[in-house]
Amino acid sequence: MTATAALDRAGSAGLQARVSRYILVSLALLAALVIHLSLNSTLTLADQWSLILGRAPETFEDFQFIYAALPRVVLAMLVGAVMALVGSLLQQVTQNPLLSPMTLGASSGAWLALVCVSIWAPELKGSWGAWFAMGGALVSVVIVLLIAGRSGLGGLPVILAGMATHILMGAIATTLVLLNQYATETLFIWGAGDLTQTDWTWVTWLLPKLSIALLVLLVAPRPLTLLRLGDAGAGARGLSTGPIIAVLLLLSLWLVASAITAVGVISFIGLITPNIARALGARTARDELHFSLLLGAVLLLLTDSVAVQASSWFPDLVPSGTAAALVGAPALIWFARRKLSARDQTALQLPEGAARVGRRVWLLAPATLVVLVLLTLCFKPDAFAWTQPWAALRWPSELVLSLRWPRVLTAACAGVGMAVAGLILQRLIRNPLASPDILGMSAGATLALVLYTVFVGGSIHEAGPVLAFAGSGGVLALLLLLGRRTHYAPGIMILVGISLGALIEAIVHFVLAKGSDQAFAILGWLSGSTYRVSDTKALLFAGGTVALFLLALTTSRWLTLISAGDHVALARGLNTGRARLVLLILACALCALVTAIMGPIAFVGLLAPHVATLMGARKVWPQLWLAPLAGMVLMIFSDWLGWALLYPKQMPAGTIAAILGGSYFIFLLTRRRLG
Amino acid sequence: MVVRTLLRVSALCVGFLAAFQALAVTVTDGRGEHTFDTVPKRVVSISWAMTEDVLELGVEPVGVADIEGYNTWVVRPAVPEGVADVGKRTEPSIEKLAELEPDVIILSNGQEGLVEKLERIAPVLFFDAFSEEHDNAEAARQIYLELAKLFDKQALAKKKLAAMEDQFADLKARLHAHFGETLPNVTGIRFFNEAVALVFGANSTVQAALQNIGIEPAMPVPESQWGFAQRKITELSQIQEGILLYFKPAPGVEKLFASPLWQAMPVARASRVAAVESTWSYGGALSVGYLAQAMAEALLTIPSQ
Repeated sequence: MTATAALDRAGSAGLQARVSRYILVSLALLAALVIHLSLNSTLTLADQWSLILGRAPETFEDFQFIYAALPRVVLAMLVGAVMALVGSLLQQVTQNPLLSPMTLGASSGAWLALVCVSIWAPELKGSWGAWFAMGGALVSVVIVLLIAGRSGLGGLPVILAGMATHILMGAIATTLVLLNQYATETLFIWGAGDLTQTDWTWVTWLLPKLSIALLVLLVAPRPLTLLRLGDAGAGARGLSTGPIIAVLLLLSLWLVASAITAVGVISFIGLITPNIARALGARTARDELHFSLLLGAVLLLLTDSVAVQASSWFPDLVPSGTAAALVGAPALIWFARRKLSARDQTALQLPEGAARVGRRVWLLAPATLVVLVLLTLCFKPDAFAWTQPWAALRWPSELVLSLRWPRVLTAACAGVGMAVAGLILQRLIRNPLASPDILGMSAGATLALVLYTVFVGGSIHEAGPVLAFAGSGGVLALLLLLGRRTHYAPGIMILVGISLGALIEAIVHFVLAKGSDQAFAILGWLSGSTYRVSDTKALLFAGGTVALFLLALTTSRWLTLISAGDHVALARGLNTGRARLVLLILACALCALVTAIMGPIAFVGLLAPHVATLMGARKVWPQLWLAPLAGMVLMIFSDWLGWALLYPKQMPAGTIAAILGGSYFIFLLTRRRLG
Repeated sequence: MVVRTLLRVSALCVGFLAAFQALAVTVTDGRGEHTFDTVPKRVVSISWAMTEDVLELGVEPVGVADIEGYNTWVVRPAVPEGVADVGKRTEPSIEKLAELEPDVIILSNGQEGLVEKLERIAPVLFFDAFSEEHDNAEAARQIYLELAKLFDKQALAKKKLAAMEDQFADLKARLHAHFGETLPNVTGIRFFNEAVALVFGANSTVQAALQNIGIEPAMPVPESQWGFAQRKITELSQIQEGILLYFKPAPGVEKLFASPLWQAMPVARASRVAAVESTWSYGGALSVGYLAQAMAEALLTIPSQ
């Protein structure tokens, strides 16, 4: 009796809380609407109201309100609501609080598709561009889902697959943009995500496509609730969730692709909103969907208000996507810092390799390197013919040699630096997924350098290593702060990497959208080129790399002990806390050095230690020698390929390495088994 | 007799010396003075604006960066057949450059970092053509004259510049004949998409070209390195009296022009909008003339009030 009364009371209290929560968010929506409209229109509220009620527009300000301010508000609400709804749906289906259209790589697919159309079929872009973007978004998300597989949806694998696809497609798109600077110029505003409107076209285009959301709202709650009981529980209730979930996923893909097509890349809203909704007390599946929907509209309206206001402060337009990323990146780290604890110890099963390093490997690996270096120095691309491949090989003139060696040396050092940093991190976190680019260390250095050139001015090639160290160091401090409690679980670290990556992308797109040449310099630098490294810089780089490499060799005992487990290390008298810190700083220094000299290099830090393991280097000492060798070979080969493939046009080594490494990473993910 | 011969010989020597003196030439670029012993014959130009200047001086370069892009965007003067492509403007191929054995390599904005590298191949001239610190149009003229000095084409350069001045005067006269005593204010833009445009303002070659034909800007855009700012289309409503010119290609513009918002714009209501034939707006000294010509032709299509 008393128990039922208590339950009743609890139920009504819960209901009350829910009702007041919805009232509050509705009020917030109204407030956000008023704020946005008053920022984006010069009319008084009374005038605005009379226009909404149907007064015929007369002045330009009237027209501006009806055809620019109002559609923008409606679009912001629609897109925000849909992104949040899809985010909530994805997160509930997968029980993964980090899933969103952004982490599934939808935007990069659309971006790549648009870049391709603008370059190869510009006449189609006007009328069919939207459909290409949609197709690209759909294809990339499907690829990511396929890579992750059903078992990978709940954890890190799907996020990693999304990130790998994102980097891979982004690298391809960047290469195309760099080769076709002006043809792609007008895309950048879309890439930066802008909500500026001049009529109701996009609203009327989007509205029918988004009406499916109503269906999702109606159908989704029941299977989602059952899903919370687990697959077995749902099966016991006579409901096979599989097909329904598959249909729901397809519908949400459609929603996301339409929204991205209309407004461009606006990240984070779909990722954060459901997390905020849960933090504010949304419990049931239906509640979370509905509340996220409303909250998403409010959040995007407010972020877009920031963009509108900022545009009036700066000489150039500030796109909504930039504002969203600036607000979203820190919020994401804040909200997810507790969610990713030791639970996410997803490990990848590396492909089986040799048990130990054979004598042949010790001979062949350095020989490969020597042959590759000779090939790089002696190859003459314009003398190459398939019938006589040897004709392209000749000893270079002294001048060419003096101009080429800094490139080769830089590529080699970058390979060594990233390989050693990756190896240290993989051993330290005991996860083969760790790598400085994935954990955000490269991103920290990159962000520092990009921010410097954008706001202080000057060439990004001139900005020094000190800044890069500061950036990497900042991320390191953040990782240490967040990681201590989570025992350095890779999840939080990867999250930092993703957030910073998205932030950098938003800022770069903002600069690109301004349409100045500075942006292309930054883009070129971001793709990691060896071209501009001077002799002195290359020599200094080599010196620094060798010093850090020797330092890494001295830590091999620590690495062995730590990778055996903390208890083993402690039993052997190692101060694991201090060793960890020293090793992390070492990895950070390597990464900052590479980034400062050459720009961010993706995937090499991940790939090289794996290749070493495959060749049989299971112990630290041989891996410390073989991984840098592998890194050198990969980077020199990428540099050579980028130089020779489209000669005399050059493609940056970093992009080629990202495409090669990204493909390997995706291959690795597809054959993952949960550890 | 002996004296006369001696005199002749010494006169010859003086003549030789003078000739030699005339061959040596000193030019000033963004980094300082550079002396060339002879007029450079084999020229490589990495920047499009410099390529344009070199071609306008009647010099055929041996190598140019990104010829395909130049022919698409800069268009005139065309790069002659047989000129080698040395790759991208940001990262020209060093091997290709070395092979061409140039006497001089000419760089400008965006290629600052290349000077040290390319100097090993040949003397490098770096011109700071676009900067917030100076008047871009005046700088373009100076650079053109410096290059003329380098290639010993000063007479041609002066002739072409004078012809451009005449062209300005001619265009101005035609505009006055069309619009009467006072010319309308004009602003040039490039549409990015249906919602955003690049507006050319102070220190842009577009505004310089307009000023040369006696026209003032219709809306203020603060001075900057390249002289443009990105603006929402709705901000073009600032132009109350003046004329709006937009550069082709402008994809999707028909749709924008049909929209009620555009039709409510003061310039659209007064039908004071015209399209300008595709013209490169970040070029060298003589591109100001092309710009003025193209824009004047567009302006003449607008009926006077």
